[in-house]
Amino acid sequence: MSWLFGGNKQTTKEEDLKQTLGFDPAQVSDVSSIINSPGVFDASRLHPLAGLDKGVEYLDLKDEQLNDIEGSKGLIPSRSWTDDLCYGTGAVYLLGLGLGGAYGFQEGVKNLPKNAPPRLQLNTILNHMTKRGPFLGNSAGVLALTYNMIDSSLDYFRGVHDDFNSLGAGAIAGALFRSSAGLRPMAYSTALMTGAAGAWCGVKHLLK
Amino acid sequence: MSADHARDPCPIVILNDFGGAFAMGVIGGCVWHGIKGFRNSPYGERRYGAISAIKARAPVLGGNFGVWGGLFSTFDCSVKAVRKREDAWNAVIAGFFTGGALAIRGGWRHTRNSAITCACLLGVFEGVGMMFLRAFAQPPVQPIYAEEGAQLAA
Repeated sequence: MSWLFGGNKQTTKEEDLKQTLGFDPAQVSDVSSIINSPGVFDASRLHPLAGLDKGVEYLDLKDEQLNDIEGSKGLIPSRSWTDDLCYGTGAVYLLGLGLGGAYGFQEGVKNLPKNAPPRLQLNTILNHMTKRGPFLGNSAGVLALTYNMIDSSLDYFRGVHDDFNSLGAGAIAGALFRSSAGLRPMAYSTALMTGAAGAWCGVKHLLK
Repeated sequence: MSADHARDPCPIVILNDFGGAFAMGVIGGCVWHGIKGFRNSPYGERRYGAISAIKARAPVLGGNFGVWGGLFSTFDCSVKAVRKREDAWNAVIAGFFTGGALAIRGGWRHTRNSAITCACLLGVFEGVGMMFLRAFAQPPVQPIYAEEGAQLAA
């Protein structure tokens, strides 16, 4: 009948337990007392090998298969040449799109029709932006695409990723870009792209 | 469905998708417009026709691809951040917003139709992807026990 009238028997049981164990089991922690005690969720007090104090590592890549060509540890960890290609092209394309869009915006603001309804004014500005932005973005994107492809090829053939590759890739990309327009534009764009590649190398050295 | 660890984490993957889609568009546009320009030019000017078609149209195609991919990735990341889960609906919702955003200058009807079309397209993509995933999934391999088990059972 203890399951029915177990009430007063429990106290004696607890006292028995207290005597045999040497402490009161009711005072020992249950889950809520563990959770409510201060500092349990402090990451630094957990097991040191858990490595939780470093924060979440957002750029840990799968299996850490990073590019193993010498000197390829750039601003963003990269797995292979496709990563370089996508990030480089995407960044330059967005930059060109933004710059062209901003230029088109101020051009549109300057050319606003007088006494026009606001809808027409908005349309004017948008037309100018979509005229300038994609053009500059596309040109810059194609240049960056060519540059990155040539750069990765040079990396592969030379086995090193350094500034000379970058300069050479910039020169070749610039020459290819205007190769059908004649010698003089080709020389101009070669010089410009080499300069841009050099500037990018300088920025990389500054940021690293 | 678990998170896709082969891709980079969210805010930065937008750049990757922009670049990847742009590169895909440009390279595909080179092939496509090269062949088209070659075939549509008179004899003797076919090489020049191909090159000029590539120069005029491949970057534009690349830009269209890139803007689509980048916008989609942006919306995908936003939807992930709002819903706090990763499933096939993310792509469908992101496709809805992408289609709408790209057609927003064409008026309300065009925006709505384009958004719905794009969402349906993305839904079909996701469905086909899931079907392939299920069709090619490895069946769980049953562990091989030693033969003593059979004797014990008998």
